[in-house]
Amino acid sequence: MNGWILAATVELGGGGAAALWGVTTGGPARRVVAQNMTTSALCPALLLFSQGYGRPAYVDLALLLALLGPVGTLVFARLLSDDLAAERPSAWALTWTAAAVGAVVVAAVCAATGPGRAMAKLLVIGALLISGNVIASRALSGGFRGVRGG
Amino acid sequence: MDDAVIVVALLLMAGSATAAVVQRDPARQALVLSVLGSVLAVLFTVLQAPDVGLSQLAVGSALTPLLIMLSVRKVRRRGRPEDGGAK
Repeated sequence: MNGWILAATVELGGGGAAALWGVTTGGPARRVVAQNMTTSALCPALLLFSQGYGRPAYVDLALLLALLGPVGTLVFARLLSDDLAAERPSAWALTWTAAAVGAVVVAAVCAATGPGRAMAKLLVIGALLISGNVIASRALSGGFRGVRGG
Repeated sequence: MDDAVIVVALLLMAGSATAAVVQRDPARQALVLSVLGSVLAVLFTVLQAPDVGLSQLAVGSALTPLLIMLSVRKVRRRGRPEDGGAK
């Protein structure tokens, strides 16, 4: 076990447990925020695993999660909008913390990879992760008026 | 020592699967199910099966919750005129 896998384990355990606790307790707003947090907790862990196992191909999983995680959250924002209209779920401190964690992890893995095509891919994943997280949070907190139950 | 990672992933998987069963409201179950899908994908990666993880991620994180939520919405709409908006 090297440092990368240790960091990934800590990230996976802490982030996963927090998301699981949030998604099983409390009101609908809190649950949706916790579901959104899953993406930003697990995607950096997958990047760290890829670096720790020395297999660059594992980065594809993080790319797919960064793409599909916000899509899943937008599904909930659209279809649960009646429940969410009462209490606007917004956790901007959590959103920016998650974005910062993602940025730090991407920067660390980039530094270990070195310049090249792999680094460009990592940067794309980081941009997707952070922008997806911010867009999903904005949709949940009612930032987009178009997101409304039909 | 690598087993610690697998133990953490397995514990998370067991916890979220149990939570998904315990929830009563289908919409909340869908939320927990989407978390379970992502955790399962990480578990498959840790067990060195990233191909299985990829398909699990595609199905579990967006598609299954979408199908469940669409069904829940349809059932709720159908039930609304009769019993005045069953939760």
